[in-house]
Amino acid sequence: MKRASLYHEQTARKRIASLVDPGSFTELLPPPERVVSPYLPLLDIPVSFDDGLVIGRATLGGKPVYLAAQVGQFVGGSVGEVHSAKLTGILKAAARDAIPCLLLVESGGVRLHEGSSGEIGISEAMRAVFECRAKGVPTIAVIGADIGAYGGMGILVTCCDFRIMTEHGRLGISGPIVIEKWMGKQAYDSSNRALVWKTSGGKTKYLLNDADVLTHDDSASVGAAIGELLSKSQPITLGGLKTRQQELEKRLGDFGKTSDPEEIWKAFGIADIGEASLASGPEFVALAKRKTP
Amino acid sequence: MNTSNPNDLLARFFGESGKTLLVKDSLITGYAQVLTQNVAVIGTCDGTYIDNAAALRLASLVIDCIENHPQMPIVMLVDSAGQEPSRTCEMLGLASFFGHLLSCLQLARQNGHKLITIATGKAIGGAFICYGMFGDRIEALDSASVGLMPIEAMSAVTKIPAATLTALSKTMPALEFGAEPFALLGGVDEVWSADVNVPEKLAAVISSSTQEDHRAELGKKRGGRKWAFDVQNRVLAESAK
Repeated sequence: MKRASLYHEQTARKRIASLVDPGSFTELLPPPERVVSPYLPLLDIPVSFDDGLVIGRATLGGKPVYLAAQVGQFVGGSVGEVHSAKLTGILKAAARDAIPCLLLVESGGVRLHEGSSGEIGISEAMRAVFECRAKGVPTIAVIGADIGAYGGMGILVTCCDFRIMTEHGRLGISGPIVIEKWMGKQAYDSSNRALVWKTSGGKTKYLLNDADVLTHDDSASVGAAIGELLSKSQPITLGGLKTRQQELEKRLGDFGKTSDPEEIWKAFGIADIGEASLASGPEFVALAKRKTP
Repeated sequence: MNTSNPNDLLARFFGESGKTLLVKDSLITGYAQVLTQNVAVIGTCDGTYIDNAAALRLASLVIDCIENHPQMPIVMLVDSAGQEPSRTCEMLGLASFFGHLLSCLQLARQNGHKLITIATGKAIGGAFICYGMFGDRIEALDSASVGLMPIEAMSAVTKIPAATLTALSKTMPALEFGAEPFALLGGVDEVWSADVNVPEKLAAVISSSTQEDHRAELGKKRGGRKWAFDVQNRVLAESAK
């Protein structure tokens, strides 16, 4: 069997091409249109002709989708004014046209070089995510790149209907380097990759139900997971919120006293931490006993 | 006005009814009155950092309000320096706790509750994004510290000299820190002066607020965020072709 290329190693446009029906992607505001950051040149930083976000529409298994894919190589996939406006625009288009929206996330959060502008922009994109949800239009975030989803983008993905993660993906708000600076290297050694991934990586997020699906790190698996979710949505209901409140209170009660992610793994039936650490996403899922929501 | 004492602040906002609000662990929760109108209140004070438990306490009040007080306006007070930067908070999924709080506020909005935010102290980064920035209308006291982060912190992370950022901030309010520049970006509707009559002002904002997100348009009109509105609209127009 021919092995598909690893999802986390792909660039944003390759990711899109590997997921959608061949030749079906049409990019909106593509690079030739030069919709760039007005801030970066003032700071002597090169711009990118897509401002680090590829948006457009395509079909997936014959069904129309809107997509936004972040370019991690450009200022860490960070969200500035133009980047966030493209993101908000595509989400609003999805709400308007009742077409599902896929977010291929790879971002450290707000682009500091553009100050509060990107912060407000992320908040606008969140409002647009909820505009989709209010109309029952599915929003699906894929978090499978090394940069992960951090800062405001970490919060934004938790507002979507579904999150698909691979074992390479990470989800959080404050990154390990920030926490190390704040708490000291003894509390969090940001160079300890095993600890960082056990703290914020896809496996732990899957156990805690913050990731709905944990897949293989390849496009075929990610694409299959998207296909499963594309016609589903999670309406926000009072009953659902009350259940979620209880779940999160229980999580805090169960694990709030520890800072060791391996305690969480053990609580979900992982007997051999070493074996589970080396497991692929689906192998890990087979080893663990996650309580289905 | 002394904003450092939450009780003084609550008295100024809600009069005698402010005393019924619970102020505990730098969180404010409960029900009070603005002039004669009943409102639910969720808030932070003392510039606290918001952790998982705090997000749940705020969410719990929003759920209670939706369940027991249909359409009652929800007032959000913000004085928080950020999300709690800790490994345990991250391991427990702080982002998801914030997403839950935002989802609660979204259901409130869908069910006809007005959401009004006032930045009373620090309104910074993730602490502002996780509830206050989700308001239908976002107001700020002129003494509030609103923004992504102060220039010194921005300089430390980006390695761009603070002097360069300060000079640029004169023409780029996005780089400046404070309620006024944030208003120029459309992120704050109005900055309230120190002598404003808070209950009257707040009552007027509650009554005139609408649900649509008008921040990008406001940012363009005020000239602080010139591109967001046009780019959003361009995407909407081109996707419709």
